[in-house]
Amino acid sequence: MDRNQLVKWLEAPAKMAHKYSLHAVYFCTGCGIIEVPPTITARWDAERFGVLPTATPRHANLFLITGYVSVKTLRAIVRTYEQMPEPKFSVGFGSCPINGGMYWDSYNTIKHLDRYIPIDGWIAGCMPRPEAIFIAVTHLWTLIEKDMADGYKRYREHYDEYRANQERVLGKLEWPPLFPMRKDQ
Amino acid sequence: MNGALTDRLKAIFRDIETDDVRDGRLTVLAPAASVLSVLRLLRSDGYGYLQLISCVDWIDDGQLEVVYVLSRYLDGEGGIGGGPIRVVLKTRVPRTNASLPTAIEIYPIAEPYEREVHELFGVRFEGHPRLTPLFLEREYEIPPFRKDFDTRQYVEDVFGSVPAVGEESQDS
Repeated sequence: MDRNQLVKWLEAPAKMAHKYSLHAVYFCTGCGIIEVPPTITARWDAERFGVLPTATPRHANLFLITGYVSVKTLRAIVRTYEQMPEPKFSVGFGSCPINGGMYWDSYNTIKHLDRYIPIDGWIAGCMPRPEAIFIAVTHLWTLIEKDMADGYKRYREHYDEYRANQERVLGKLEWPPLFPMRKDQ
Repeated sequence: MNGALTDRLKAIFRDIETDDVRDGRLTVLAPAASVLSVLRLLRSDGYGYLQLISCVDWIDDGQLEVVYVLSRYLDGEGGIGGGPIRVVLKTRVPRTNASLPTAIEIYPIAEPYEREVHELFGVRFEGHPRLTPLFLEREYEIPPFRKDFDTRQYVEDVFGSVPAVGEESQDS
């Protein structure tokens, strides 16, 4: 353990634990997932940064959305995101989740992913290199430390709006709301 | 040798047109009524592999062209009987109420391809057991791969109208 960080560990042990054990959902969408296997295996070895892939979203707290999001994928993304335990951090990887990227005029691709689920950070590029994932992870550490990676709190707070946007694109969702809707109360 | 299949097709079906064999590929233009018969003949002739069913929108002619790509597996001599390796069968149907008989009973693999052409181009395949959407989640007024489908307008209407959430929405 880095002795310089000892004070931080004593001040906020939970935060430090969140920082250094980011378990990423192994969720494949778009072309960005090509970059992930070398990132998590021997070549770049994401475990140096405490990032490990997990088989199920219920054990994960980092959600990398690695490429363009079709309408059908959005349904899976929302379901995956809602299954993850809090605190959870989501990162959009590549240009496509940011604003549609090269699919900006596609009839079946979501343009702004942050209108459907909260996003804590973006990695721009088409495609970003695996190194960019590590830069994003170190940025995410800073955000967690400063309590700025608060996507899951925003999801709770604005759940009505997120759910309305999801239903706008996907039609009626077949699962019940994750949080109580404000209009029900 | 390559002429044998062409001659035979022409002898049986008088209303089809064929092109020269190029790169081992024979192009056949058939009217919609005789598509199944041509497919059945080609199937019994060794073209057991339906590679894909595609579609082209000829909007100026008011027609949709459905394309069947068939191929045969090579044997030691470079093809059974030395015929072309690939046959491209094209047929045209009018754009309004486009419909064709299904090819599932000849090629079972046609099932997903026909569903795809149905949802993206709006060609009805009569006799298909389930013409439900294969890829798409949303309903489209015009099938999205038709030339008169305005993607930019659609994106503006559907995805452009989704509001931003939270603080961002208050700023704008």
